Amino acid sequence: MPSYDLTVNGQTHTVTAAADTPLIYVLRNDLALMGTRLGCGLSQCGACAVLADGREIRSCTTPVSRLAGKKIHTIEGLPAMWAGKGEADPAGVLHPVQQAWIDEQVPQCGYCQSGMIIAAVDLLDRTPNPSVEQIRAAFTDSAPSAHLCRCGTYAGITAAIQRASSAISG
Amino acid sequence: MTISGPALTRRDFVKVGGALVVTLGAPVALPGCSTAASATNSLDASQLASWLEIHADGSIIARTGKTETGTSASAFYAQVIAEELNVDPTSITMVLGHTDETPDGGFSAGFLTGANNQRKVAAYTYQALLGLAATELGVPAADLTVSSGVVSGGGKRVSYADLVTGQQLDLAIPVSGGLPTIDLNDPIGITNLAGISVTGDPPTKPVEQYSVVGKSHPRPGIRDIVEGKGIYSGDVTVPGMLHARMVRPATLGSTLVAAGKLDLGKFPTAEVVVQANLVAVVSPNEWEAVQAARAVASTTEWTEWSGLPNSTGITEALRAADWTPVGTRGDAATADAGLASAVKTVSATYEQPYVRHAPIGMYMATADVRTDGTVKIWSQTSQSQGARAQIANTLGVSVDKVVIRWAQGPGQYGRTTYGGDGAMADAAILSQLLGKPVRVQWTMQEDLTWSSTSPAWVADLKVGLDASGRMTAFSSDWYSPHENDARMIGAILAEMPTLSPTVKTSFPVISTVWPYDKVPGVVERAYHTANPAMSSAGGGLRGNIMRTPWQRQQNFGLEAIVNEAAAVAGADPIEFRIQHTTDAQLIEIMKATADAHGWTSRPSPNPKAGRSGTAPVKGRGVGVIIRSGAQWVGIAEVEVVPSTGVVRVMQLTVGVDVGKVMNPTHLKSMLEGGAVMGIGEALFEEVTFDESKVTSTDWTRYRIPEMGDIPEIKTVFVSHDDRGINGGGEAANGLTPNAIAAAFFDATGVQPRRIPLTPDYVKSILKT
Repeated sequence: MPSYDLTVNGQTHTVTAAADTPLIYVLRNDLALMGTRLGCGLSQCGACAVLADGREIRSCTTPVSRLAGKKIHTIEGLPAMWAGKGEADPAGVLHPVQQAWIDEQVPQCGYCQSGMIIAAVDLLDRTPNPSVEQIRAAFTDSAPSAHLCRCGTYAGITAAIQRASSAISG
Repeated sequence: MTISGPALTRRDFVKVGGALVVTLGAPVALPGCSTAASATNSLDASQLASWLEIHADGSIIARTGKTETGTSASAFYAQVIAEELNVDPTSITMVLGHTDETPDGGFSAGFLTGANNQRKVAAYTYQALLGLAATELGVPAADLTVSSGVVSGGGKRVSYADLVTGQQLDLAIPVSGGLPTIDLNDPIGITNLAGISVTGDPPTKPVEQYSVVGKSHPRPGIRDIVEGKGIYSGDVTVPGMLHARMVRPATLGSTLVAAGKLDLGKFPTAEVVVQANLVAVVSPNEWEAVQAARAVASTTEWTEWSGLPNSTGITEALRAADWTPVGTRGDAATADAGLASAVKTVSATYEQPYVRHAPIGMYMATADVRTDGTVKIWSQTSQSQGARAQIANTLGVSVDKVVIRWAQGPGQYGRTTYGGDGAMADAAILSQLLGKPVRVQWTMQEDLTWSSTSPAWVADLKVGLDASGRMTAFSSDWYSPHENDARMIGAILAEMPTLSPTVKTSFPVISTVWPYDKVPGVVERAYHTANPAMSSAGGGLRGNIMRTPWQRQQNFGLEAIVNEAAAVAGADPIEFRIQHTTDAQLIEIMKATADAHGWTSRPSPNPKAGRSGTAPVKGRGVGVIIRSGAQWVGIAEVEVVPSTGVVRVMQLTVGVDVGKVMNPTHLKSMLEGGAVMGIGEALFEEVTFDESKVTSTDWTRYRIPEMGDIPEIKTVFVSHDDRGINGGGEAANGLTPNAIAAAFFDATGVQPRRIPLTPDYVKSILKT
């Protein structure tokens, strides 16, 4: 099996995997990064979203062979990404989006929320002060699918994104 | 310090009926130590140490077999304990759902009964601690007060931590009930699913003195979830574990002809495992298991089978079934007389197809079945002790050999409430066959085919009105297949012992709480039947409860016909409801919700209602439900485009009177989330099948609400100290479809008698 150098959360790992292996299996089983969650497996729900060069991708359908040279961030890597130093703030400071998710107590079952947080980080990077309509569009109409939450936490997600936007913009 | 019996046996406490015995005996092996539970793999519920530990640093561990299902029960449990003990809720760590580390079992669905155990254990412990402090300080217990775990009185103080340091508080907790056992004559097939209850009446804090319950205490696991550190059931890894993917039958009734061959050149470390009709592919590499299972599935042969009614004719199929009366409530003679003398009657049939729980994450489980007969399973079940009984039954081992370790999972909304359904049997059977730990992960297509469902239903309803437009009679006949099939599909397919092959008996379920007590003649009759093909090799459509079970379905019919009756009477739908009830709390929350929404009084339909054209027509509607002691009101605004049949919910207001609000933040979250689920049922959700198999097998064919489907949701609730603590986790999903259907009627003049309001259905009813 071929080897790939993957840069995940600031660290480069050499992994051996079949070329078509979806990234999520490498993250979870080879790198022990369990925060990325398998949902539908067909890019229809967004639970498995991670960032590749700052943009959301679906790790359940993106083969590992396509990710060489990209900077991948998972939910676990967001605090360090925010700190900008390659490692998280030792005081436990989270990415503002994560902190907003706690402040708004967004999760119910929580299974979709890693993907929701990743999508929110991507959105706020592109659109720092999104309107409610822009948030709805980003989470509903963006390819490849809407981000689904069966517990129905959409109001909490919207409030948390607005809170994070204020925190980031100061 | 010496703890002695007499010092702790407080007369005034004994007088109120508590059985408090405190001794300094040999240390009870504390849960959490692996040796403690090894004898029976369960804790003795009559021992305080099984429920609660207070540590020298002031931290507290509390244990219950109930779980966190996403409703924030874990926050509420900590609040209830903190309230009775007078400690900070953040000092409490909950241990949930592990069968070998918790004492009581029980439903995770009923937070109120769960909190009851926690409240009483904390209250018993509080009395014991007061007794200890009285002895230690030489101050009568009646003169002591407690704040943040520090007991004060007579100018002296001592912390709980100091009181218990080095001590074993060996307090007997009075309990009744037992842990689940298999009983094939039981309607579900398992008895004691409610688990063990703490009995007696220890003094508890009056609600008006609450300082913790009622505040928005953050839920303990949320930080871990947003950091990606929250452990879910699928995250458990065991040394030597194999990954499995199941190869399911071609239909819901097919049997295996020949399992497909595995190409070992392509998949060198994979293996095919077969037990009767249970087929799986395992591999140490998960992606290899996925690919090999697909390859094997493509060459596996199954018998042909067609034993389902097509879902397009589900109502006709239900009509043709054999129905058993399972319960009557009310008085048929009075209702019939009221109908006979009515000036006007409304008579209608309401229906809904099969729907399902449809979590975002699919079933997963890991099992480690050892040759010494021990079984350990990691699962997201919400009924660990019931699952334990089922797994023991299926594998043919005694229940004390089985441990279920719970981990949080994707929201299940009731599908594991009876300890059944899920991937546990698949994993356990494979692990037993292979002698290795096995992790099973279902696919979306598999979950949307093989998990249990919430059955379709039909209701024939009649309302009689007098000359003044008042309802005088209500008659209902309610038809729905069983919702108590807790079998696990792995055991069915493997032809290993499971619960009753056909559900022999059923509940006499009339679940409505009839709000309109001024109606003199009311009769409700319920009928049950088997779900299609439940005796087939694949178990057919297994009926199971789903959030707000029974009442969600029945309430749709009841509120829909009340809405029609209000229109016949020419009355405003809210005023019409108020005219027919003496429930002051219901009237109060109806008025408060109407005010918050900006409701103006007028009858439906809207004077501008229309049923044709490309321009949207608008309407507003209301629905109510009473559940678990709480009164709920929903008001929806919709837009309908008659030419396309597309319905959009533009605004939603949900009001509830739960009595004492335990946690405003999480109650609001439950209201919003339940309302979203209700929008799904109202507009999109339908399990479709042909004569052989389920066809709604992905998120494009089983459509659940997206963010863009959800309007602004206003929530209305006020906490009342004198109305009890009532249920807030369910009901909103049973409320919203009524409000939406009523708003549709207001917009178009046509009352929908079926949900979901899909474009095709909407166009069909607007045409006629």
